Amino acid sequence: MHSLDSIYLLLGFVEIALVIFIQWQLYTINIIRTFSIGSFLMAAFFLVAGLVSKEVYILTLAFLTAVARGWFIPRFLVKTLKRETWREREVKPVLGVASSIIGSLLFAILGYLIYSLALQPYMSTNLAAVPIALMLQGAFLIISRSNTIAQLIGYLVMENAMYMFGYIFPELPFIVEAGIVLDVLGIVMISGIIIRLREDSLQNGDSEFNELRG
Amino acid sequence: MEWIYILPVLITGGASLLCILPFLKFEEDISVAASILALASSIYVATLPDHVNAFMHVDGLSKIFLIMISAIYVGVVIFSIDYIAHIENKLFQMNFYFFLLNLFVLTMLFTVIVDNIGLMWVGVEATTLASALLIATENEEAAIEATWRYIIIVSAGLVVSLIATIFIYAGTGTLSLSKLLAAHPTSQIVAVGAILAVVGYGTKAGIFPMHTWLPDAHGRAPAPVSAIFSAVLLPVALFSIVRIIGAAPILGVQDFAFWLGFLSVAIASLMTFSQRQYKRLFAYSSIENMGIALIGISVGGYGFVGAIVIIVAHAFAKSATFLLSGNVLAAYKTPFISEVKGAYKKIPLTAYLFSIGALAVTGAPPFGSFLGELLILAQVLKSFGIVWTVVLSTFIVIAFLGVNYRVARMVFSEGSSGSESDGDADHVKSPVAVAAINLALALLTTFALPVIYKML
Amino acid sequence: MLLLLSLLQLTYILLLAPLAAGILAKIEEVLESKKGPSIFQPYYDISKLFRKESIVPSAASPFFRVAPYITFALYLFLTLVLPIITAFPLTFGPVVDFIGGGLVFGAAAAIKKLAAIDSRSNYSHLGTSRSASIGALSEPIMLLIFIMLGVLSHTNNPYVINNILQTSQTWYLSLIHWFVSAAFFMVLIVETGKLPIESHGFGELGMIGQAMEMEYSGAELALYKWGSYMKHFLLMNVFMNVFVFPFFVPMQLNVAAIFWYMFINFLKIFLLLIVFALLEETVSKYRLFKIFDFVAVSFVFAFLAALVFYTTSSIGGM
Repeated sequence: MHSLDSIYLLLGFVEIALVIFIQWQLYTINIIRTFSIGSFLMAAFFLVAGLVSKEVYILTLAFLTAVARGWFIPRFLVKTLKRETWREREVKPVLGVASSIIGSLLFAILGYLIYSLALQPYMSTNLAAVPIALMLQGAFLIISRSNTIAQLIGYLVMENAMYMFGYIFPELPFIVEAGIVLDVLGIVMISGIIIRLREDSLQNGDSEFNELRG
Repeated sequence: MEWIYILPVLITGGASLLCILPFLKFEEDISVAASILALASSIYVATLPDHVNAFMHVDGLSKIFLIMISAIYVGVVIFSIDYIAHIENKLFQMNFYFFLLNLFVLTMLFTVIVDNIGLMWVGVEATTLASALLIATENEEAAIEATWRYIIIVSAGLVVSLIATIFIYAGTGTLSLSKLLAAHPTSQIVAVGAILAVVGYGTKAGIFPMHTWLPDAHGRAPAPVSAIFSAVLLPVALFSIVRIIGAAPILGVQDFAFWLGFLSVAIASLMTFSQRQYKRLFAYSSIENMGIALIGISVGGYGFVGAIVIIVAHAFAKSATFLLSGNVLAAYKTPFISEVKGAYKKIPLTAYLFSIGALAVTGAPPFGSFLGELLILAQVLKSFGIVWTVVLSTFIVIAFLGVNYRVARMVFSEGSSGSESDGDADHVKSPVAVAAINLALALLTTFALPVIYKML
Repeated sequence: MLLLLSLLQLTYILLLAPLAAGILAKIEEVLESKKGPSIFQPYYDISKLFRKESIVPSAASPFFRVAPYITFALYLFLTLVLPIITAFPLTFGPVVDFIGGGLVFGAAAAIKKLAAIDSRSNYSHLGTSRSASIGALSEPIMLLIFIMLGVLSHTNNPYVINNILQTSQTWYLSLIHWFVSAAFFMVLIVETGKLPIESHGFGELGMIGQAMEMEYSGAELALYKWGSYMKHFLLMNVFMNVFVFPFFVPMQLNVAAIFWYMFINFLKIFLLLIVFALLEETVSKYRLFKIFDFVAVSFVFAFLAALVFYTTSSIGGM
């Protein structure tokens, strides 16, 4: 097997383990930092892959990953936390921590099953199993938490998974790529506004929304 | 003369720019003018022949959507002027509201004319961006919570459809819609991509199992925003599914879409019975309608025509209903069904139109939605046999009863607060007129069937 | 010759297990800038306990009295079958495989729990129920770990696994091996009662293992203590010799090499003790319910190893 592919798998499973770690953590600051580490690891991989293959596309990907998701977004999210960042934590997860850890694992396995049923015959390597698993784990993180930032991190994990897909499959046309990056940045900015508003409003009262039942 | 096809997009783009400029104070007038111009140019485009080049793909379906979006746009802008001005504690100023509204329409118009499934994705995702803050126009906890759920669930769903786009690109080497429609790729990787696309765009269209954001967003958004969401945003997401299934008409994908649509209809029709708020009730009715439309898209043939008819009729009827629900909310100051009584005395015009609208959105004859449902059921009977057709019809009837029973209770029950038409909300004639026109258009859809059929 | 080596291994563990416990306590105290007890303190404790009188609760059955002897014997048996100072099977090596060893550990734990229930003491019952509910989760993980090792080496034999990891760089560096090791490390913390799980003070509400021997005294308590030192020492040896650092374990029958390795082995254990001490000094105890989160993560690691295996296997291993 190509050595770069081995590193890809190594990275992929480390990312999966990091998502499990995020699922374990209840303190928001730890979640953000873990995500940042995961993004930097991915950026490092893209850097190496770009240098080996000498493709500007992958180097751009490395740069974008490091700057946007390793540095800027985590920083932005930490800023949206209140002054005493270490206090900020998930009060009432939707699912218990132990069961959500197992749930995340089950989703990773489901990802592998989906891959092996639907895609394996058409692939020369097994690389694509990792991003599918990671994507489902990200989705599960969104479902299993009620903390806004944890949910946003879940979305960003899905996005990281998408970039890992981007490495396996041929590059998309530039205009599409640019549109995607702009959209994602927009989503994060809008989310930032909503997070601010939401944290403010949650301070005032209970977080049970009877109006949104049913 | 190619630019003429992007005229509606240009007009709304210009309007949103003018709205955000701080020194201009005519955002209402600009928006009304823009919407009417956009409608006029859309109708003009519809008379022109189909046009396909490297960037655009304007065919009959695009034209129907262009007209539908612009028509709803006109009504919503006119209704918004008064309604939004009366909201206390707004999240932002009026001009920013109109800026977002115009931008929102722009992204939808853009989505239906591009010839690139990657850019189509960008367009659908941009609708999320432009519309998210609109839900939170009323700056209160539940609205912000609903906005958040909308953003996170829809974005997560759209990541799935982005993967789908990448898969289709990997399987075919092109993103061009016209090339895909000509080639009809059937490889397995494209099939997987198409299934993921159905799931991803289905999230945005309120298709089971990722429909949960929809009642929250529709329930909490101001009436005009609910109207434009339900009437055209959901169909634009379905439009993407139409394109993907049209490009890759693979049997497994169509079956998958059918069952998702079926489950949406089933869940939504059962959920109508447990609703306590009228806007959420209509939100579930939207899910049901989108489910039926998805079934129609998946079975093809007459079912597809039926799906388009239902989408158009539902757009007009549902926008009217949501606009009227804004009037009800203004008159009674409560979102709960049980607290609205005797509306026919208090706000007669609104109340009667409201009950007609409820009939229209649930597929009562002679409205277009009835015709659409008939066409779809006929095709389902042909493809899936009598049993599933009967089950599906049962769910449709359940939804009909669930919605209309409650609306009838709201309108015709003897109210305790029986003050004769205090006219506080009803005196505003223009919103009622907008709703009436939209309902008339929903009725007209029935007679427009030959035109729609010809355009497809 | 093999029999002699077996006896040597037995003596090695019997004698050095308390020392390891003493060293750990000493390092921790030093890290807290205290002087700490002598590293031979566990020996003093044991010898003192042997000279004390045994008191048995009046409600207990004779089983209560016998249990410490049985468990001690089981641990003694385990010392004969695991790769501690040699990487080739000694006389009793072929008797059990990894799963068999796991069963013997399990049997010892079960007997201990039964005896604790037999004491009819509330504290013992508390410890038993806690230990049982955690064990119900951690033992399947153990099994999963052994299965993964079996997948790796096509055998359940700890000696073979050691040899494979010692010789094959591919397997040693593979992610499967490291995920399994991580899982085993976490289970090791649970089984040896180290800090995020259990703290070692008296009258502690969160006590698990300690509570079970609450009613013992005299020689029985001494045997329990000695037995658990041996258990910890054995598990640490398995962790170091089979999982993390399988190198230097002599694969050929060479008395000088084995003699030297005994020192190297203790050095390995010493390194692990330092890691444990640092861990114990930096983390605080989990609340009882968070232990399950910890165990769940360990389960995930063991299972991820399987996922890695399937992802990499069809394209020829990493």
